[in-house]
Amino acid sequence: MNISNLASFVTSADLSLSEKGIESAKVILTGFVVVFAVLLLLILIIKLYGLIIEKAQGAAENRKKKKLKESSEVPKTSSAPVQPAKVVAKAPSVDSGISDEVVAVISAAVSTMYGSSQGVRVKSIKKSDTERSAWANAGVLENTRPF
Amino acid sequence: MQIINGFVEAIQGLFLSSGLCSLNWQNYVMIGVSIVLLYLAIKKQYEPLLLLPIAFGMLLVNLYPAIMAAPSVELLTEQQCAAQNIDFASHAKTVIDGVTYAENPTYGGLLYYLYQGVKLGIYPPLIFLGIGCMTDFGPLIANPKSLILGAAAQIGIFITFFGAIFLGFTPAESGAIGIIGGADGPTAIYVTTKLAPHLLGSIAIAAYSYMALVPIIQPPIMKALTTKKERSVVMEQLRPVSKLEKIMFPVIVVILIAIFLPDAAPLVGMLMLGNLFKESGVVDRIAKAAQNELMNIITIFLGTTVGATASGQNFLTLSTIKIIILGLFAFCMGTAFGVIFGKIMYKLSGGKVNPLIGSAGVSAVPMAARVSQRVGQQENPGNFLLMHAMGPNVAGVIGSAVAAGVLLNVV
Repeated sequence: MNISNLASFVTSADLSLSEKGIESAKVILTGFVVVFAVLLLLILIIKLYGLIIEKAQGAAENRKKKKLKESSEVPKTSSAPVQPAKVVAKAPSVDSGISDEVVAVISAAVSTMYGSSQGVRVKSIKKSDTERSAWANAGVLENTRPF
Repeated sequence: MQIINGFVEAIQGLFLSSGLCSLNWQNYVMIGVSIVLLYLAIKKQYEPLLLLPIAFGMLLVNLYPAIMAAPSVELLTEQQCAAQNIDFASHAKTVIDGVTYAENPTYGGLLYYLYQGVKLGIYPPLIFLGIGCMTDFGPLIANPKSLILGAAAQIGIFITFFGAIFLGFTPAESGAIGIIGGADGPTAIYVTTKLAPHLLGSIAIAAYSYMALVPIIQPPIMKALTTKKERSVVMEQLRPVSKLEKIMFPVIVVILIAIFLPDAAPLVGMLMLGNLFKESGVVDRIAKAAQNELMNIITIFLGTTVGATASGQNFLTLSTIKIIILGLFAFCMGTAFGVIFGKIMYKLSGGKVNPLIGSAGVSAVPMAARVSQRVGQQENPGNFLLMHAMGPNVAGVIGSAVAAGVLLNVV
């Protein structure tokens, strides 16, 4: 057993003042350096993989956008809601029974997700036409999910 | 007459075995303390989920110390065995001074057995599992620089180590006391059980009390160290973080930390496992169990048994007072260094970082982040720092686990 090992077994009352100083300086220095080193390394790695993912996803999105552009030339009438005739040009078409607050919340959420720099416009908001309510769907899901 | 004698003897026996005869003044003081803590938990709602079981454990052990007693072996002579209806022949024998004794094992108290999860370092990592399921590392991934603040707030731990050594604690005890500055209950308990188990009661109670007092301790330090201009900085909105990044994060962190600092692996490993449960989205029911049922059960066991380590004889000592003072010091230093590094980042970023988020680098999730938010809003009611402060806040959890790994290894 070497002396530094022994030092951890004696009580600190037995340590001289200089020994206490050395012991604590050792811990403080190691602590600072290791904690900062590990977390700085983490920062580097997070940044790095963030960049990689962003690039990869950017490329994927570009491909998607291209596809979308091609497909948007032939509008899908079935999925687009019918615009009422007397709608003011920029207001989204909204199903009856959806309050203005809900419209505002949905628009805000969309704008947050895409960022305000990209000119996003909510074209229409309509209730989904599923027969079951959301709660009923949740129930069915819960009971049919495999164990 | 015989009946009356029997009755008197029975009453005498009951009296002698009651607390009135076996408890000493320290126990009564601790009963008082535990009732005050119960009041704080119930009426003032200071971290009631922890303080209530801790206080009740404290109450129980001081009323009935045997509830924490370790199992032991009782030596009985043949006559004693006969009197207690114990089969002398079937027990192992010990011979002392020519007298043969039967070794009759006695069982430990209830809380002794539950305490093994604390003593063996099982509960704290399990709590971390639940915390992992509830933690969103998104703000940290969006702004990785906040890890610096999470590291800076750990400086208090090591400075307190220095103070504790000079106040006469051994290096191992000093390490356990310093970790209070990490403001992370499970980490503090984990480190203390490994380094200085005899101080567990005082350290755990100091750590949880200060965590409960975050909203009172931190704001004066934050205000003293920052200017009005710095406090009113509005930070840019964080970028959205993709699901893939969130899934990769726990895996990468655990690989990195477990390789470089294996001592931190049980805590960080469980934290990241829990987080992967949540982010992967494919094991919903496990994630729910870990963050609700499992975590609640462990909290009950952990709280009660940690409270039960605070028996009067252990707790009412000079070192408890020193620990409470050093713990407060550690906590204040952690907050101060977080804010100071926040100021450095404010300068380096050209005024884009609000230094108030630095104080959230002490873990205490999410209380410390809420404090940053509140202090920021006092200057500028339209300022929302909460999400920005969550970055350093969750970084603080990783930071204190890393600091714990360092202490376990070096001390």
